[in-house]
Amino acid sequence: MSVTSGRKGAFRLLVLLSALLLLVAACGAEEPDDSAGGTGPATATEPADEEPQFSTIEEGVLQVGSCLDYKPFEFVKNGEEMGFDVELAEEIATRLGLEVQWVTANFDTIFTAVAAREFDMVAAASTITEERLAEVDFSEPYFNARQGFSVNTNETPDITSVDDLQEGDVVGVQKGTTGKAWAEENLAPKGIEIKTFDAAPDAFSDLEAGGVVGVVNDEGSSIAEVETRSGLEVVEAIDTDEHYGFAFSKDNPELTAAANEALAEIIADGTYEQIFKKWFPDLPVPEEYAAS
Amino acid sequence: MSNETIKPPDTRGPTGPIPVATFAAGIISLLLAVGGVFAVQYLYAAGNRALSPDCRERLTIQVPGEDPKLQEGGAGVCHIVDAMHSDLQTALLWTGVGIGIAAAVTGFGMYKRLTTKRMRSHSIAGAVLGMQAVLFGAVFAWFRSGDTLIFARNFLKFSVLEGSMDGFIRGAKNTLILAFAGEIGGIIIGLLLALLALSARRVVRAPARGYVNFFRGTPLIWQLSFFYFMLRLGFGLDVSSFQAAILVFCLNTGAYAAEVFRAGIQSVERGQTEAARSLGMSYLQSMGYVIVPQAVRRVIPPLMNEFVILIKDTSLIVVLGLTADELDIFSFSRQWFSDSRNATVFLATAAAYLVVTLPLIRLVNYVEKRMRSGLVGVSG
Repeated sequence: MSVTSGRKGAFRLLVLLSALLLLVAACGAEEPDDSAGGTGPATATEPADEEPQFSTIEEGVLQVGSCLDYKPFEFVKNGEEMGFDVELAEEIATRLGLEVQWVTANFDTIFTAVAAREFDMVAAASTITEERLAEVDFSEPYFNARQGFSVNTNETPDITSVDDLQEGDVVGVQKGTTGKAWAEENLAPKGIEIKTFDAAPDAFSDLEAGGVVGVVNDEGSSIAEVETRSGLEVVEAIDTDEHYGFAFSKDNPELTAAANEALAEIIADGTYEQIFKKWFPDLPVPEEYAAS
Repeated sequence: MSNETIKPPDTRGPTGPIPVATFAAGIISLLLAVGGVFAVQYLYAAGNRALSPDCRERLTIQVPGEDPKLQEGGAGVCHIVDAMHSDLQTALLWTGVGIGIAAAVTGFGMYKRLTTKRMRSHSIAGAVLGMQAVLFGAVFAWFRSGDTLIFARNFLKFSVLEGSMDGFIRGAKNTLILAFAGEIGGIIIGLLLALLALSARRVVRAPARGYVNFFRGTPLIWQLSFFYFMLRLGFGLDVSSFQAAILVFCLNTGAYAAEVFRAGIQSVERGQTEAARSLGMSYLQSMGYVIVPQAVRRVIPPLMNEFVILIKDTSLIVVLGLTADELDIFSFSRQWFSDSRNATVFLATAAAYLVVTLPLIRLVNYVEKRMRSGLVGVSG
């Protein structure tokens, strides 16, 4: 075909090339304008629907805010961001033709920051709550977050559930978390003391040191925390009907919609399962996130 | 009657109408610029005004499946922002700045040609007050030109403070416990260290120097978590975070106090030691009866200054986990911040620290004044 009608073939090649060029440019090149002359006629003819409907702060880049200190959801190892949220966010970005740029943020102010468009998206294992919805938009849920109850089996082998806790026992939680709210609601009335930590790893260190008899914290990160510490074990999962979502500025509903679409694709084609199994080998893949 | 006759003669001369007018203009300009902001804020906060549509729209939240509503505390935030941008505010601000410029120009322009001291001081005072009004006006106008709504929503949403009073009071109590315990322990450790550091023998000096260098050279925040785990895991002591923190504050303050004491002891004239020794006192006796009592007087102001610094440093206890009864001012507000997700609480935190530190700062100044006048009395 390309031999018989050289001109048409050449045109198609041009379209294909320019499309490729566009893609490459979107994946991190700095001056997509260079190819504007070549793509002019091509974009005019067909791939109008390929134009991204959403906008990001910096073109071709998805700036993602995260605390990056919450294993196994997001953390930094050898200078590289990794974790469940990190891979999922990067997969979404790839499907949107964007390159992820990680921005380290404090969890306390992360929603305010994304609302003010300091970055495009939050991937910080954040639970979708009504209060937060007042400030930001959330994607569809991407993780069912249960709370884990961790204990130190060296010190207190007989505690296997929160029901075994006695009055006066001290339980560690991280400030501002679901775990803290749950403990204050369910444990504090029983006379159990709540010790609040600035960061989750500190609570687990204190559990190792015997400063607290248990820690209530997100199950996923609890599993990762106890792995590296001898004698610690997650003995109970507490379902609090909480789901993680990526957060976006309310001024950018197009990006939220595009991310939702990409997320649905990722779940449908089994990519989600792969990522889930990689980071939570001990957890079964929840039904709602299984490949269809 | 007799009092009036003792009064010294007035050498500053009479003032004139123009210097007085300049002085008055300066006061009025500052009142309009600074006082105007507070007055307009009060008017808007107290009055039951309608919110501006723009502010209302931006603070309205849309929870899926519910009617849109103004977010909690939104009205207060809107009043602050609306007041800031109101015509009344603009008019007051620029009138103040205008009068301020006039006062500054006339004041500085004429003061060299004025004949009496009182005229000059009035014109200068008016000019300086006018400049302050202009400076404040410029800064306020600059600040106002930004996105004050987001700023106000995050830092001036006073409704989030509701119910935090008890926590702040308990926090202030714990902050003071930590600071007092740390300071008292630190003074004892510091005095001992200073005596060691002043020893003529290197083997005695070296550990003291090492201690001081270590505690002054490493971050207190690290010392807190390191010593807490060292005590629990290494020494096997069942200490709470709070107890461990008190110990670390003592150890840390000890290092700083040691330097203060050393400087104080060294500032006592050599002749004092020589005189004491020549009277047959031993080294320790001369230190205890002659040198240290003199040094203590001199080190009280810097030690109290250290104490004011320590009050704020106790906030670093936030790195250790704390139960509700143990929270200090700062860790309490961090928690309140996490739960309310609004930084207004830190304004209250700053105010709480001021409530604790300002009286102490005043005390430091008072003691310093007394000490100084005392010394003058001795030498004079």
